[in-house]
Amino acid sequence: MKQHTEIPYWITLAHLPKWGTEKINRLVVKIVHDNQMNLEIFFHLSESEWKDRFEFSDNDVLDVQNAKLELPNNAFLAEELLSQGFEVVPLNSFEYSKILKDNLKIKHSPTVLYTKGNKQIMQENSIAIVGSRDADKDSLQFTDNIAKKASEQNKVVVSGFAKGVDKQSLDSAIRYKGRSIVVLPQGIMTFGSGIKKYYAEITNGNVLLVSTFHPKAAWSVGLAMARNSIIYGLANEIYVAQSSESGGTWAGVINGLKKGRSIFAYLSENTEKNNNLTLIEKGAKPVDIDGNFLEENLPKNLLTSDNINSKNIIENSEFEQLVILLKKETLTPKQILEKLPLNISDKQLIKHLKTIPIVKTIKKSNRIHYFIEQNVATLFLTI
Amino acid sequence: MNRQQAEQKLKSIFGFDQFHDNQWIVIEKILQGQRVLLIEKTGFGKSLCYQFTATQFKGITIIFSPLLALMRDQVQKLQALGISANFISSQHTEEENQQTIHDALNEKLKILYIHPSRMENIMWLETVRNIKISMVVVDEAHCISTWGHDFIPSYRKIINLVNLLPLNFPVLATTATATKRVEDDIKTQIGKNIVSIRGNLLRENLNLYVIMVQSEDEKMIWLAQHLEKIQGTGIIYAGTRANTEIYAKWFEYLKIKAVHYNSGIDTATKKYIEQGLMNNEYKCVVSTNALGMGIDKPDMRFVIHTQIPVSPIHYYQEIGRAGRDSKPAYIVLFYNPAEDKTLPLSFIEGGRPKLEKYHSVINIIKSERLGLNGVVKTTNLKQTEVKVILADLIEQGIVVELVEKSRKIYEFKFGSLDLNVQNFKDLRNTKLREFDEMLNYLVTKNCRMTFLCNFLDDNLSNDCGVCDNCRQRTVNVSVTQEWNDKLVNFRETYFPILEIENKTTNLINGVAASYYGVSNVGQTLHRSKYENGGDFPDWLLRLALKAFYKHFGRKKFDIVLYVPPTESGDLVKNFAEKIANSLSFKFSNILKKNRMTQPQKKFQTGLLKIDNLKDAFTVENKNDIIGKNILLIDDIYDSGATIKEIGKYLSKLGATKIAPLTIAKTLGGDL
Repeated sequence: MKQHTEIPYWITLAHLPKWGTEKINRLVVKIVHDNQMNLEIFFHLSESEWKDRFEFSDNDVLDVQNAKLELPNNAFLAEELLSQGFEVVPLNSFEYSKILKDNLKIKHSPTVLYTKGNKQIMQENSIAIVGSRDADKDSLQFTDNIAKKASEQNKVVVSGFAKGVDKQSLDSAIRYKGRSIVVLPQGIMTFGSGIKKYYAEITNGNVLLVSTFHPKAAWSVGLAMARNSIIYGLANEIYVAQSSESGGTWAGVINGLKKGRSIFAYLSENTEKNNNLTLIEKGAKPVDIDGNFLEENLPKNLLTSDNINSKNIIENSEFEQLVILLKKETLTPKQILEKLPLNISDKQLIKHLKTIPIVKTIKKSNRIHYFIEQNVATLFLTI
Repeated sequence: MNRQQAEQKLKSIFGFDQFHDNQWIVIEKILQGQRVLLIEKTGFGKSLCYQFTATQFKGITIIFSPLLALMRDQVQKLQALGISANFISSQHTEEENQQTIHDALNEKLKILYIHPSRMENIMWLETVRNIKISMVVVDEAHCISTWGHDFIPSYRKIINLVNLLPLNFPVLATTATATKRVEDDIKTQIGKNIVSIRGNLLRENLNLYVIMVQSEDEKMIWLAQHLEKIQGTGIIYAGTRANTEIYAKWFEYLKIKAVHYNSGIDTATKKYIEQGLMNNEYKCVVSTNALGMGIDKPDMRFVIHTQIPVSPIHYYQEIGRAGRDSKPAYIVLFYNPAEDKTLPLSFIEGGRPKLEKYHSVINIIKSERLGLNGVVKTTNLKQTEVKVILADLIEQGIVVELVEKSRKIYEFKFGSLDLNVQNFKDLRNTKLREFDEMLNYLVTKNCRMTFLCNFLDDNLSNDCGVCDNCRQRTVNVSVTQEWNDKLVNFRETYFPILEIENKTTNLINGVAASYYGVSNVGQTLHRSKYENGGDFPDWLLRLALKAFYKHFGRKKFDIVLYVPPTESGDLVKNFAEKIANSLSFKFSNILKKNRMTQPQKKFQTGLLKIDNLKDAFTVENKNDIIGKNILLIDDIYDSGATIKEIGKYLSKLGATKIAPLTIAKTLGGDL
């Protein structure tokens, strides 16, 4: 009960009118981190203390004063929320998704998450499968394959409860007894019918509902678009089933690529409605219908025997060791071979490293070093 | 605002010159945004503490109260003073409630009373988010505590709410009955630096008596001799539903105006009785503890218990309904040491269902979200049990309760902790201890009011001076042959009514020859049915005929039908035939079952009983039924589900009237 008493304050702060997410989050950091204070104490400070300790302008004071008047009403809202089994996870909670925080940073991380279900799965390795609402059969098959693989490997599938790819990835994850995070395009209290439908999965801990909007907010295009960045944010890896030339998927992927996220796009043979090829040109990694990585920019039929050989040049177990090593250290090929007895030459190794999409390079003292970012998942990489 | 300024305002708004000291202490704290728990006896003026303060705040004050009658009274008084107050309740129309909410939204109200269960109403919750609230009041705050005597589950939502309200937001909780333990519990639950203010609980106008008796007969005879001698009107609390009826009929037999009241009575009749009580139309209402929470009658002159309550706090609360006008009132408690412990102990022991039942409810809800009826049907548990279990599971956060289109739905909460049974054990032990104290009250030689106040942790300096012990008067019952004869005659001519009339069928109320457990009728039936005792004996026939004449007089029936048996052969058929012959009505065996049914007693819940029988009956030729007045015979009337199903069927076929006549009526199914 006690830890709940701050919830109305969090709700009030999270939806403070006119303030953007970043401004609110910076205030949160100042309150809970810099000042080691809880929200309750903060809200009941005097104006002058707000100004002195939090560098509030007169307008800021006014905004927070006004928000403060909402507290009793938000107490009623919080009571309703909690009594219906929803939970509120604020930014500073250990239950808040670390993946989300890492991906969206202070600038875009939602100040609170409203959830229902197994919150623990926010902390686990996850993938998102994204794509358009009117995806074709082929893309839906891809979605199903990826969801299956993820479920088999105990990875959480993040989706957005739209038609098409979203719906398919959720239903497939459920079918393969996997776990799912559903990011809602609306307030969590307006999702009654969905809760009914996925009741069993929520109750047995396989589905978590997450919303970042005001609990009573109705669905809107704006919210659906805003929700996309949360889907991308909650996933370690992103799989694009089918993207058109514009729209949510497209914008999300482009944005993700800019931020250097691991994005894999299905290289479909059906390119009419599918604009994934353009995404691949822009840096998404191509995968086949089973999620297997394809040679960059090379359609399947152009793979040379040489390339195929190079893929099999090292054993599976050796590959795993290599990944672990490169996650820890940044090394030259020579250094790698000193640490790992791979029985191949420098050149063979370099060639091989190039085929692994997650391996990045950096020039240090004029030599090319290889490394793998620590938070990069290696889920679908096989050799 | 200082006291002087406040009292000037008090004078101009309420017309009073000054506050009591304790009232001012409370008001001052609330004005400063503190949380206060106020424990004061009835008549102290608790409501003025929040009513006055409410007029001083900018926004609206919301008062949660379980007492509809009290809300209505207070609203009327406030409106008469020119203070904009209103209340939302299930007794208003939807439009009226909407208007009230609308007024609250537009800041046209200062004070709004609502029942705690309104927190389950979606429209209210949608609205309250936009109402400017200045203070929250929790009336009858002891209902918050499961340690208290009147725990109301919807109060749980109030506690949660109060916990979530911001610091410096004024909250006042009030109660007239709280032990130290309940007080502490309320304080812990409401939290945030709540201070409690406790007045003294002595009610010097209540004259407490305990009358020791040897039998139920002695209670009935004493009441017959003395009830009319006590001035005014009052309540007699009986332990069971059946007893409310028996006592009321006994008074009726003696031409004393009385009526029975219990949870088995429909809402409209209840309201009618409550109104009658307020208007002194009865000498007394005989009731289970179902009557009371909603009753605010200042001139209640007596409260008499024919059964001992489970604890002194229950007792204090129930007798507290007498003499609110501070004039003398008489409080009598009968105690038969040989028999009267059984019932309260069974309440304590049977108050909580077995653990397996908890787990079966949890498992059902885990797999499916269900309403109350759904849970009852799937688990085959009694509705009353399921309600207790659900309340506990919600309390422990294992199950959540949602409202969908005014229907309650139960969901399992993922990640909740396992059922905590230690709570239950602690609670049971506490209840047993409190019951021991109740027994001590009966035998104490000291002032009885002092005893009760001590129990409530309120230490009195003076004795009351008016209880039987203070006056050194022992009341005895004098049983004479004349009274014994009257009682025997009453018993032989009193037949329980089978209340089954409803709007959708042509069933009319019938009659039973006896209560199942009250006389030797039950044993006799059991012998015939289950111990090969042969046909029901003729004295049962005579009793049933007597019941028939008493209830139906010379009314004619066209045919006598009987309920086709599930397992006990031709007993009922033979009995019905004898009834028909004795009354010279036509006997008929055309009513048949068209499929096997299970014995009704197999089902714990009335809902499954109904399902068991649904469309199970048939007659070959419906011309035999059309336009007929039918007397329907059965041996035992329990939930009434069988009679109702047959009545529904026969009404559909075109029967004009269907009246049940049974040998016995049990003490109540759960529907």
